[in-house]
Amino acid sequence: MSSVAVSPAVHNIFRKDSACDLRARIESSLGQQLSSTLLLRERTAPLTAPFGIAALDALTGGLPRGALTEIAGPASSGRTGVMLAALAGATHQQICALVDASDSFDPASAAAAGIDLERLLWVRCSAGATSQARRNAAQSGFSKAGLPRNAGFAFGGVLEQVLKVTDLLLQAGGFGMVVLDLGDIPVESARRVPLTSWFRFRRAVEPTPTVLLLIEQEPCAKTCASLVLRMQAEAVCASDSSRDASTPACRIESVNIPQVPKTSVVSHADLLRGLCLRAEVVRSWSQRKPPQSAGARVELRAAL
Amino acid sequence: MFACIYIPDFPVEAIVRAEPLLREHAVAVIEGKPPLTRVVALNEKARLLGMETGMTKLQAAVFAETPASDLANSDVPQRRTISSPRLALLRQRSREQEQAAHAALLDVAHSFTPRVEDAAADTLLLDLAGMERLYGTPAKMGTELQSRAAAVGIEGNVALAANPDAAMHAARGFDGITVLPAGSEIQRLGVLPVEVLLDGFEISSQTASFRESTGREREKFREQMLDTLERWGVRDFRTLALLPEHALASRLGQPGAQLRRLARGESTRTLNLCEPAQQFQEAMELESPVENIESLSFVLNRLLEQLCARLEARALAAQQLWLRLQLDRRVADEQTTTVQELNGLSLESHSVIPKPEVERVLRLPLAMRDGKVFLKLLQLDLAAHPPGAPVIKLWISAQPAPPRTAQRGLFLPLSPEPEKLELTLARINAIVGERRAGIARLLDSHRRNSFNVERFMTAVGDISTTSSLTMSEDVGSRLAMRLIRPAYQLTVHLCEGRPADLNVDNGKTEGRNLQGIVLWSSGPWRSSGDWWAENANSGPSGAWDREEWDIAVAVARDGSNSANIGAEAEQNVALYRIYRDIGTGEWFADASYD
Repeated sequence: MSSVAVSPAVHNIFRKDSACDLRARIESSLGQQLSSTLLLRERTAPLTAPFGIAALDALTGGLPRGALTEIAGPASSGRTGVMLAALAGATHQQICALVDASDSFDPASAAAAGIDLERLLWVRCSAGATSQARRNAAQSGFSKAGLPRNAGFAFGGVLEQVLKVTDLLLQAGGFGMVVLDLGDIPVESARRVPLTSWFRFRRAVEPTPTVLLLIEQEPCAKTCASLVLRMQAEAVCASDSSRDASTPACRIESVNIPQVPKTSVVSHADLLRGLCLRAEVVRSWSQRKPPQSAGARVELRAAL
Repeated sequence: MFACIYIPDFPVEAIVRAEPLLREHAVAVIEGKPPLTRVVALNEKARLLGMETGMTKLQAAVFAETPASDLANSDVPQRRTISSPRLALLRQRSREQEQAAHAALLDVAHSFTPRVEDAAADTLLLDLAGMERLYGTPAKMGTELQSRAAAVGIEGNVALAANPDAAMHAARGFDGITVLPAGSEIQRLGVLPVEVLLDGFEISSQTASFRESTGREREKFREQMLDTLERWGVRDFRTLALLPEHALASRLGQPGAQLRRLARGESTRTLNLCEPAQQFQEAMELESPVENIESLSFVLNRLLEQLCARLEARALAAQQLWLRLQLDRRVADEQTTTVQELNGLSLESHSVIPKPEVERVLRLPLAMRDGKVFLKLLQLDLAAHPPGAPVIKLWISAQPAPPRTAQRGLFLPLSPEPEKLELTLARINAIVGERRAGIARLLDSHRRNSFNVERFMTAVGDISTTSSLTMSEDVGSRLAMRLIRPAYQLTVHLCEGRPADLNVDNGKTEGRNLQGIVLWSSGPWRSSGDWWAENANSGPSGAWDREEWDIAVAVARDGSNSANIGAEAEQNVALYRIYRDIGTGEWFADASYD
């Protein structure tokens, strides 16, 4: 049998009760002899950027920097409003970029939301551009290194552009926020983006203070996302056609088409102001098991 | 103290500057139309092979790699490889490359001192009075001058002396760096042959009549003077310097006396100063047409390196780059003819054939001086706008500008590096197309979707430092719009004058659920404009007159349309803006609220 010699320093360590003290003393005493991979490290909270919406900031703690954040939701669920609010705050400090997969960005709405358009690089992807570039290269015979083929599915050309442009932006660095707007890309197409692409983006953005924000209909980056937020239109106001202007708009909690046989008439302001949204945290870097019920009600102001 | 930079065999050096691999080989430069093509310059290695200036092309071909039979057909460009350094390489003289090399030499001289005389294409004289404090001893100044010339790809002789003519003769007569202390000129220059004196007499001569004489007259004067001195037994500077001045002047006139002063190193004169040029251009004529961008990149890289070295020598940067490509005329004409035939045009319309030259302009948002960035930008630009025919000659010019001198603060947020950002934007443009990436600038108009996309650029120091206050503020969320480009054309059924049901005409909604029963509607709102414009009815920028509605349609949460939604299905409500064109009566959907 072989005996293990224990140094007096280690004997002294075991007299202490606190586990933290014990760990700190072990590391300080044997730190020189242990490999750094064996040492435990505190999980440091990443820096965050504000959403610009108090309810969402309180719910999530903000947009984590150096990480991928997903905001998912169907049409008219407030994704774009949240995106513009986040960009409005970010463009006052840093240069930001928006990769617009469906060319749906409205500069007038952005300006109304407070975005400094001078500091926003807007990349408008389109299905025709890739084929045009290939055609140019083929006609000239000047470029043998053509663009790679698209993924071979619907919106494959656009998604190919989005992924390439995002790669370039993240490699260039220096952007405070890079937003990928896939809000109008069908879920089936967005899900066919290889998981390796999201993983690559996450790795590219990790050592930087950049916020990588993904707007989509359904979450598709899986575990690569540090924060996943699901948006939902909770209620829409409606009223009778006989309602006068002084009557407050009534809220309904669900929509059932068979119960609304004819077209209801509402005022313009009520139609837009009555849109109430609910944000739900699906995954968060700060919570190992996010409570599914955690949500926040977001009021959107009609300021068009 | 004066200095002289002299480049021996300047036509060869100009070609070697563009092709540095030739420096290890014997190179002869030929010029003239066949059959009068002759060797006009050659380097030392070619002389060692036995070649001489004035040889015909056929005589030179004996020493060259390429057989004379191939060289005789000079119309066909030859693809040559540099295989054996023992064989000479023949190159056509290139005036553009000589001009570029001379301009580079001037840039080097002006980077050293503002007092420069452009004496000849291969000779520059510099006034270095007072430069000792900056550069040190004359030997150090000579070394610095030579290294700066080498940085722009030119190797030559440098000499420093108390007067410009002595410096010039020393540079023309001695290799490397030569420093002539004051008073020792007659001893050091004494060993040089009188040919050196007569070669530089055109520069040194103070008489206006000699300067205004033609080249043939100067050549005649040189031959006569050489004959006379040869008959007298005068072969070097020392012998000429010892001749009595009056006797020499009585026999050879004023030039004779001046030659004696030059040989003694006693001539004094003021320099004829020149202004620094503001044009930076490099050119290269290719031996054979280049058909692909990869091969052209090597040439571009070399030219850009030279251009950046010149800019660096002058402490400048480039704000704009011009790339001019001369195309192979035969291929360009064939392609043009083919296009005309396809279009049914007659061949008599050859007069409208465009010139076989292509020019590309690279406008940079900030002054830059990175050759690699320029190369990549040009590669991307050529890939997007291919010239269409093989390239046989190219020019690159730069518009000089002061370099950026901004210093960023330590605590300012990061922003993209300008060079890297420009490269990234060029790559993005290559992917998404021209003018599809940039800054959206709103126009002063009530027309929907009216904006311009402008070039994205970041001004240095533009990032504000008062970000902490902004971050803590609740910006708030506003209902935003997502535009549909192009707008969907709809078929709308009305009920009591309001939209009740709608469908997209071609059925392609590209991920948007825009069909079915209208739950609620709000409107109409009339808007019109630009009816006062002259081109009111032409295209999308013409007049508009429309009736807008905001509507809500129901969609299932799984994304299916409302037509399939049952009573139990979970539903969402989507808000859209639709409009009816008053002129045509057609319905469109152009935005959604989100």
